[in-house]
Amino acid sequence: MGFYACESDGDGVVSGATVALVLAGGAAAGVALRHAWRAGGARRPWLIITGWGVAAAAVAVAVASAGAAPGTFLALALIPVAVLALVTAGVKVRDARTRAPRELALEPSDRASKAWRGWLRGLLAGPIGGVAAMGVGLAFVVWVPGAPQTRMVLGGMLVPVLWAAGMAWTLADDRILRATAVLVGVALVTFAASALKGFAV
Amino acid sequence: MSRTATRSGRPIWPKVPASFVRAVLAGHSALGLAFAALIFLVCFSGTAAVFIQEFQRWERPQDPVVVAPTASVLQTAFETGLRLTPDTNRVVINLPGEGLPRFVLTTWTGEDYKMWALDAQGRAGERLDKPWTDFVQDLHIYLHLPRSWGIFVVGLTGVALLSSLVSGILAHPRVFRDAFHLRWGGSKRLQEADLHNRIGIWALPFHVTLSLTGALLGLSTVIVGVLAMVVFKGDTEKAYALFATPEPAHDQRAAPPPDLTAMLATLKRIAPDAAVTYAVVEDPRQAQQHISFGTRTPGRLAREIYSFDRTGALLGGSGYGARNVGESLYSAIGPAHFGWFGGWPTKIAYGLLGIGLTAVTSSGVAIWLARRRAKGRPAPRWERVWIATVWSQPFAYGAAMLGVVAAGLPPVAVWGGATLAALGAAAVLAPVRISRGLRSAGAAALAATAGAHVVAWSGRDIDPAAWGVDVALAALALTLMAPEATGMLRRRAPADAERPAIAAE
Repeated sequence: MGFYACESDGDGVVSGATVALVLAGGAAAGVALRHAWRAGGARRPWLIITGWGVAAAAVAVAVASAGAAPGTFLALALIPVAVLALVTAGVKVRDARTRAPRELALEPSDRASKAWRGWLRGLLAGPIGGVAAMGVGLAFVVWVPGAPQTRMVLGGMLVPVLWAAGMAWTLADDRILRATAVLVGVALVTFAASALKGFAV
Repeated sequence: MSRTATRSGRPIWPKVPASFVRAVLAGHSALGLAFAALIFLVCFSGTAAVFIQEFQRWERPQDPVVVAPTASVLQTAFETGLRLTPDTNRVVINLPGEGLPRFVLTTWTGEDYKMWALDAQGRAGERLDKPWTDFVQDLHIYLHLPRSWGIFVVGLTGVALLSSLVSGILAHPRVFRDAFHLRWGGSKRLQEADLHNRIGIWALPFHVTLSLTGALLGLSTVIVGVLAMVVFKGDTEKAYALFATPEPAHDQRAAPPPDLTAMLATLKRIAPDAAVTYAVVEDPRQAQQHISFGTRTPGRLAREIYSFDRTGALLGGSGYGARNVGESLYSAIGPAHFGWFGGWPTKIAYGLLGIGLTAVTSSGVAIWLARRRAKGRPAPRWERVWIATVWSQPFAYGAAMLGVVAAGLPPVAVWGGATLAALGAAAVLAPVRISRGLRSAGAAALAATAGAHVVAWSGRDIDPAAWGVDVALAALALTLMAPEATGMLRRRAPADAERPAIAAE
């Protein structure tokens, strides 16, 4: 490694009271939502609203204590820990000798197993999808108004998001030639549009 | 598939066509299997990297614990760097913080660098060598591959993980309905599916944050390269210049080293809440010297950089990182990904959720293997390979750590050898024996590491955090052996126990 590791220290320790409040809020939200899951009838919508409301309040507590961005990310880490602890506490240990319940999950579809479709699907999910995503990100950077740094970062963030979405789509879509046409078309149009306009700082 | 409905019968979730779910599930499986080992390794190494500061305090317990050095001490540290490396072209000083109370000096000469631990007066102590800490960090960032390729592979893995999250939600329409359903024991497939889906759904915001920021960090070089190719005629420097602080005019004439204390006084005046985390002095003996201070401000995730020329004039007029949304986002990506905010509560939460994400990866492959077995098409070779892959890492990390502590061995070589040996076990052993053997070996290595560390440092005046890491290692060793101790594996039904173990048992 060519540089010192911990140049950005994890300082600014959030208070124990904030952590306790956010964890308690997450657990309370989980309890309300679990009640909603178990209970039927007229109470159910109110329990759902209460659950998500308490979760939002826990985020607000973290934001008020640690600041908008650190508080939000802190809450997004602490609330899942609290709810997962609640889920774990409610684990149902089954007797392995009893018959397993009926499997409700669907099975993946069986596809035609021609080699060229597999290779094309891999190319679409990988390099072609990546190039198309970069084309859209690039077009965003070039065409959308605003500070150049903002355009570059938002355009850059679009690339992994769109690539991931394209990957999910092309690996699921059985109409593989349609996916090919769309991705190649998007790549051609966006790169051409970006090259034509150029980048204004 | 039945419509998701309330107990009173009213549907609250639109019906998703079964054919759509089956198609997305096929894509989810294909992607997960193709990237399973890489995602697992990146998640495992990332979880370990959350505790990089603790590892450094453990590996270097003898270094002085320093708290809040003054501006004059920072100046002393800078002059120490010039004295130790007269021909240096860059001096970097990392200031202590609550997570890592170490005062560290790095001097660069071209592409080579040397590091020292400083005391509270800014005087150099021992040369700073931290092979284990560097190993943990570098394995996560670039997998110890050639650097640019490794970073790209990790970024691509982040995209695959993000895509798996998207298809995972689409492929599991019951994931919200069953959000509190956790069944353990009995059917292996149901158990693994419950684990996979519960962690996957409740920690989804965290998983999205990590995979998106990780993908962006890994792919940034490629993205900037493509941008530069299209709009800057291939000149990547122009693209990077948008994200750099302004530089002083080019002037290589000799000049006296700068006075950092005056610049720190200016910084204190213009940004009174900002805490300096590091200082960098480029070309310290030339008139073009460029001085930058990295800072963090309470309540902000983004970091700022303030740059000065040799006269102490602030370059650019304000702190980089706070001038527009793009700069703020850019400088917040690292802290959000690595959990550099909030202190120890964030670290513990990131560590737990990192283990959870690693378990989601492990259970995903286990579900696929169990499904094949349930359909009468078992893949015994892949069952052995996957269980060896999963349990190879606690063992390989433990072995590498022990090698560093007990014998000063290079951790990359030991980790690589241990990983290959664990995978080799898949060729000859049954899954249950692989699982038990690797967990036992990993636990033994971790316990031996803690023991060797205690023996090496007991009776000496060291950073007490190191003892905490030793206790954590011993606790990890016990956790690895917990299934044996509680008889969890033995409680399985005879029919279940006789068949090969599939996943992270």
